[in-house]
Amino acid sequence: MTSVCFYFEVHQPMRLNRFSVFNIGNNNNSISSYFDHELNKNIFEKVAKKCYIPMTQLLLDLIRKYDAKFKVSFSLTGTFVEYCERYMPSILDIFRDLLKTGAVDLIEETYFHSLSGLYDTLDEFEEQVHMHSQMIKRIFGYKPRVFRNTEAIYDNRIAKKIEELGYRGIITEGTEKILGWRSPNFIYKPVNANIKVLLRHYKLSDDVGFRFSAHGWPGFPLTADKYARWLSSCEGHLINLFMDYETFGEHQWTETGIFDFVKHLPGEVLNHENLDFVTVSEAVERYDPVGEIDVPWAISWADEDRDVSTWLGNDMQITCFNELKDIGQRIKDTGDKDLLYIWRLLSTSDHFYYFSTKGFEDGNVHAYFSPYDVPYEGFINYMNILQDLKQKVL
Amino acid sequence: MRVAMIGWEYPPFKVGGLGTHCYGLTRSLADKNLKIDFYMPKTKHKLSSGNKNLKIIEVGETEIFPYDRPEDKELAGRFFESVYRYNDLLVQRIKGNYDLIHCHDWLTMKAGIALKEKMGIPLVLTVHSTEYDRSGWIYPNEWFISIEREGMEKADRIIAVSYFTKRVIVEQYGINPDKIFVVHNAVYPIGESEKKKIVLFLGRLTIQKGPEFFLKAAKKVLEHEDTRFVVAGMGDMLPNLITQAIHMGIANKVIFTGKLTEDEVKHIYKISSVYVMPSVSEPFGITALEAISAGTPTIVSKTAGVSEVFKNCLKVDFWDTDEMANKIIALLRYDALRTTMNKQSKNEIELFTWDRVADKTIDVYRGIA
Repeated sequence: MTSVCFYFEVHQPMRLNRFSVFNIGNNNNSISSYFDHELNKNIFEKVAKKCYIPMTQLLLDLIRKYDAKFKVSFSLTGTFVEYCERYMPSILDIFRDLLKTGAVDLIEETYFHSLSGLYDTLDEFEEQVHMHSQMIKRIFGYKPRVFRNTEAIYDNRIAKKIEELGYRGIITEGTEKILGWRSPNFIYKPVNANIKVLLRHYKLSDDVGFRFSAHGWPGFPLTADKYARWLSSCEGHLINLFMDYETFGEHQWTETGIFDFVKHLPGEVLNHENLDFVTVSEAVERYDPVGEIDVPWAISWADEDRDVSTWLGNDMQITCFNELKDIGQRIKDTGDKDLLYIWRLLSTSDHFYYFSTKGFEDGNVHAYFSPYDVPYEGFINYMNILQDLKQKVL
Repeated sequence: MRVAMIGWEYPPFKVGGLGTHCYGLTRSLADKNLKIDFYMPKTKHKLSSGNKNLKIIEVGETEIFPYDRPEDKELAGRFFESVYRYNDLLVQRIKGNYDLIHCHDWLTMKAGIALKEKMGIPLVLTVHSTEYDRSGWIYPNEWFISIEREGMEKADRIIAVSYFTKRVIVEQYGINPDKIFVVHNAVYPIGESEKKKIVLFLGRLTIQKGPEFFLKAAKKVLEHEDTRFVVAGMGDMLPNLITQAIHMGIANKVIFTGKLTEDEVKHIYKISSVYVMPSVSEPFGITALEAISAGTPTIVSKTAGVSEVFKNCLKVDFWDTDEMANKIIALLRYDALRTTMNKQSKNEIELFTWDRVADKTIDVYRGIA
């Protein structure tokens, strides 16, 4: 039997307002002027209509139709849940209904979908994981057992910390960089910790996430029965299909047939006798590690490089990252909860992604997701805001 | 293939992009074994190409620059007359076995048309700027426009230096878009040296180039950041700009250089920390590529042709001097912005070669000859 493990990342960042150098130190009104509430609301409502509402409702229908034999897992970021609470609380109700089916698992991550896992020490990271855990408890009365860091950023240090925090498993990218010849379709364990590592099958995941509507791709058009056949012919214990939730209806529009694909997939998969579905918690309970992975330098699931160069690849990104990280203690010393919250919102990985200058191919993907015309605009804006924040704690 | 190319200026005798373009294009075409006879007005300099495939042929005499406006007092009487005389001389002088005629901008169009008809060979026209650009879209002169329109209509192929310019040719002159091909300009890299805290404007001081917006931004920058501003170039706006700087109280921070030699131009590009090109209407803007090739991060007008193709620069609306000042200050303050832009633009600028311009121009030639 090979288990199919679907997991969706659900995230919306708090995008920044236009903030010029002339605003630095001149910003008497509240620090919430750092964020473009209008833009954020519009984007959230657009994505909710195209993806969050229809897709979540569809998954609920499918789980009911297949008597909870179809299973999925989610990770909801703190900022996403804040958007829901502020603008569309009904979305959280559908997620609550999903959770009640017993076929759905929730995954832990940092509340702010942040780069805090890359700071010099992991105290702030730990606090943000704790915040996420508190939020999931408050909204869903649930305790996740598996952790996934922002964009699957992973190294030995993070794995060790997650073990210490009591989680049973951790998710990252099934890249050859750490696997060599080995298959991602098994559970592994970190070389330095006693937890289970789930590895994303990037080819099969990206077939849906990136290539679903690509006419030049040999797999086009991708139908549910074809995809189920591919899954059925895979060797190994488990196939981890991890993707952005916004794939469904937002990156891949309704017109591409993505919802029809999802609708037919559970039935097609369950038609194969060698396949079933598991949640991430079930996966770590059911299967044992077949080997160790050693990851001294951070990997991730982003871009072709599968490392952290997407967020820390150029001088602009490194400068902002260092400046942000270095004012952390001073922010905490003020005891000002609002300042701390803002500082943490600025640690969301998306801000750094917007001023990545990586190559043409990846750069196109970046441009699609960015509110800025060029990375330099993103940097100037972020840096101006950071200077303003710094002045408040001097 | 033998080409009779008609220009107006050629380095070191040049004032604008037309001359730079003709220099790069003719040398690269000659390197690719096309035979080019380049016709231009007689100059005080001795011009020779150093390439057996390229002959520089000086015709008659003139004192007109392609960007001069007929309103100029000194020229008023002689302006039209000398343009006609140059064109007449060209028609008498150009003979022989050419496969096509290639001319540049309005000053050479009359000759181009006459030669096409006389010799029965195709005409290619490169548009570096139109009357709309040169006037900054304020009271464009009908006399120029009618010459330009006639040349565009009679040309078998038109090369525009940007999509922006192609659009102007289609929309303002009513020309069939199918015969217009866009070939973006290129640059011979200048090379870097140590930077000083200088923000540079370099170009003709005319309404088209937007120098007054540069001064307005300078005023705003100086309220927050100490730096020097250099305004390099000549033009009819110079006296007004000096007065403007004095009235703004920033005259001690703004240096007007007047006309610079080619070496001085290179030097000022190299030592500047920021280059700003706030043009009101800019078909391409080779100076932006020159500055970038000297390691100087550059802010350009959003509508400039170079904006269409060059990614690693900052873009502003020419009238938005708040945003222009914001970006100038960011470039002066944030080292990481300069180093990243510099690093990224190095890879990109390598794509902008005259060799590529020549290849694309040859593609256009092949379509008709």
